[in-house]
Amino acid sequence: MAAITGQLLAGAGYWTALSRCCRGAAVGLFSGAAAYSSVPSVSRRGGKQREASTRRTGRTSQFIRSHASPRTERMAVDQDWSSVYPTAAAFKPASVPLPIRMGYPVKRGVPLPKEGNLELIKIPNFLHLTPPAIKKHCAALKDFCTEWPGALDSDEKCEQHFPIEIETVDYVSAGTSIRNPKARVVTLRVKLSNLNLDDHAKKKLIKLVGERHCKDTDMLTITMDRCPLRRQNYDYGIHLLTVLYHESWKTEMWENEKTEEDMEEYIWENSCSQKNALDILLRIKASENVSNVTKEELLVSEVVKNYRNSVVALKNEGETENNMSQYKESVKKLLNIQALP
Amino acid sequence: MAAPVAARALRAVPWRCAHPALSARHDLHTTPACLKTRAARVRVGKGDKPVTYEKAHAPHYIAHRKGWLSLHTGNLDGEAGAAERTVEDVFLRKFLYGTFPGCLANEVVLKRRANLLVVCLVLVQNLAPSKLYFLIGYTETLLSHFYKCPVRLEVQTVPTKVIYKYL
Repeated sequence: MAAITGQLLAGAGYWTALSRCCRGAAVGLFSGAAAYSSVPSVSRRGGKQREASTRRTGRTSQFIRSHASPRTERMAVDQDWSSVYPTAAAFKPASVPLPIRMGYPVKRGVPLPKEGNLELIKIPNFLHLTPPAIKKHCAALKDFCTEWPGALDSDEKCEQHFPIEIETVDYVSAGTSIRNPKARVVTLRVKLSNLNLDDHAKKKLIKLVGERHCKDTDMLTITMDRCPLRRQNYDYGIHLLTVLYHESWKTEMWENEKTEEDMEEYIWENSCSQKNALDILLRIKASENVSNVTKEELLVSEVVKNYRNSVVALKNEGETENNMSQYKESVKKLLNIQALP
Repeated sequence: MAAPVAARALRAVPWRCAHPALSARHDLHTTPACLKTRAARVRVGKGDKPVTYEKAHAPHYIAHRKGWLSLHTGNLDGEAGAAERTVEDVFLRKFLYGTFPGCLANEVVLKRRANLLVVCLVLVQNLAPSKLYFLIGYTETLLSHFYKCPVRLEVQTVPTKVIYKYL
């Protein structure tokens, strides 16, 4: 500025030069001040390009930052939080008045603050599901709900009125398609005691369904997935149950060829155990020279009945302490051996 | 670039015409280099390279110090659609990188909630707000029509990139 003044003084008149110089100086002062104020305290490292870019960001960020204090500073303590986060949304640091830090800190440092923190944005948050918000949801949904029927107040009553249970699964996933092939599977459950079956029909039904019947709970479970639609699978399931029921009541001609291997439970009458026992008893009686006792008398006698019960229990229920000791006692009584412990 | 390719080709073709006795093929089976130890890692320098939290951590820190940038059910056991979601993600990242030139402060986070696609951006305050609003609206509309699902942009602006450390 001194050099310019010098030149002017030399060239033109003193006053004009002075006035021009003063104007120049004033303008220079103003522009200088503006330049200094628009560029915030940014380090002056780097070349012209860096300076130009920082100056540009400084000016635009001034536009945005001029009256923008984050909303957190103006939030009341007793505000309605469900209006800040009405639906599921990403984490907004300017809307959440909590001093949260997240991230692995550098050595001798602290985790990063919440502004621009990508880790806080990545994670799902439940800021929209505070207890008051959930209460509001429930209150709004109540209008669309119907009461549970009062007559069905216990499991037994439900089972009595609705013996068949149908189970279907709906799948939700993230993506543009709602189709899921696993959704067509239908499971049908019914207790056989609820069906009107006699002894033969029940045995035949159990033989027909095989593994699908659980002995402990007496539950028949059929899973249908051979049709492409859920409705079709349901209809097929009901049809299958009807067919099974009717078929088990029918008696085919070849069913009287049922042998001992096909029997579900052990029947003592006409078995080799009965034959052997009677044989032994008759021989004992013959050797003792007692008068001829008949088979019927033997069958009715106490010892044989005891023996029969214990054998049936062993064969049907398996070997337990109780059963084995019962069998031991009955055999001792049958063969009249009391000496052994 | 041409020379090594040509060399590989020469090695692959047996020179039967030259030496019929030496008819054994000496092929070299090459695969593209995997560079597993250099993937997604910013190399340590003089200490003047500013690096964000995302870039500073190598891929083995995912699930330990880093979360996932894209959340959807496709990668769960027994769920379908993982490949489709991944292809969508790649396109979305490229599209957003081009639509907001020089403004992205960090990686884009994509969240899928049933049909809805939520795109979370962190932008540097480089553009005027009016321009930014236009770009956000443009992106949402275009992507919704393109993917036939609602697309929501959740934008956060920061004055400068958040620097984690200098490498």
